Amino acid sequence: MSKVSFHILRVGMAVTFIWIGVLILKSPESWGGYLQPWAVKLLPFGISQAMISTALLDIIIGVFLLVDWLTWLAASLGTIHLIIVLLVSGISDITIRDIGLLAGTIAILIDSLPFYFKRLFIKLP
Amino acid sequence: MTAQALLFTLSCIGISETVYLIKKRLSLQKPFCPIGENCLAVLESKYSRVFIVPNDILGLLFYIFTSVITVLLVIGVGPLLMLSIAMKIMVISGSLLSVFFTYLQFKVIKAWCVWCLISACTIWLMGVTILLSDSIK
Repeated sequence: MSKVSFHILRVGMAVTFIWIGVLILKSPESWGGYLQPWAVKLLPFGISQAMISTALLDIIIGVFLLVDWLTWLAASLGTIHLIIVLLVSGISDITIRDIGLLAGTIAILIDSLPFYFKRLFIKLP
Repeated sequence: MTAQALLFTLSCIGISETVYLIKKRLSLQKPFCPIGENCLAVLESKYSRVFIVPNDILGLLFYIFTSVITVLLVIGVGPLLMLSIAMKIMVISGSLLSVFFTYLQFKVIKAWCVWCLISACTIWLMGVTILLSDSIK
């Protein structure tokens, strides 16, 4: 990926993560409505607390992506987080957006992975 | 809400840009200069600091404050009227300062820095968003 397109994707994903975190903080209960009943039963604490924790994680991931610090770690957390979101929220009208976001975090992860990790997965010259 | 999302996005673009410039300055590297080759002429000029504080730090603080205020306005925490007024004052002051810095590039330094122009456009867009929006109260 070219350097410019990488940074455009990184900032765009950062804004998305932080803004979603802020919106969840605004009304955690209503965002909790997206959780499948089986997933709610697995929670060790209330929906509201779970959603606030999710919001804080989203904001932290977004800030790391925004300032381009430990980008690979933020992208890894974002990827895992989005996979969990896809699993616990089921298929709905907005699932396709999460798939797009997941593709974005994976692209950032692959591009920002430190050399010693890249060497493990990809044959480098 | 749409206006606040726009303001927040613009603030984040500003944060990302100023963090990039600060990193480059601290590591003594040249910033990527896609248009012209005079970014350094501007970034290292005597106008690149206000007293002893570099403009990139001031810019970063401005964008952090505007993004935090936008978040507080969205969540509805704190003295909302005061935050809204503070936001307007900051963006108007920032817009005027950006006009001045753009004038300096054009007439005094006689060189263009694309990062400074992006920052100026970002702040002007924030001003336009506030002017056109009724939701920022």
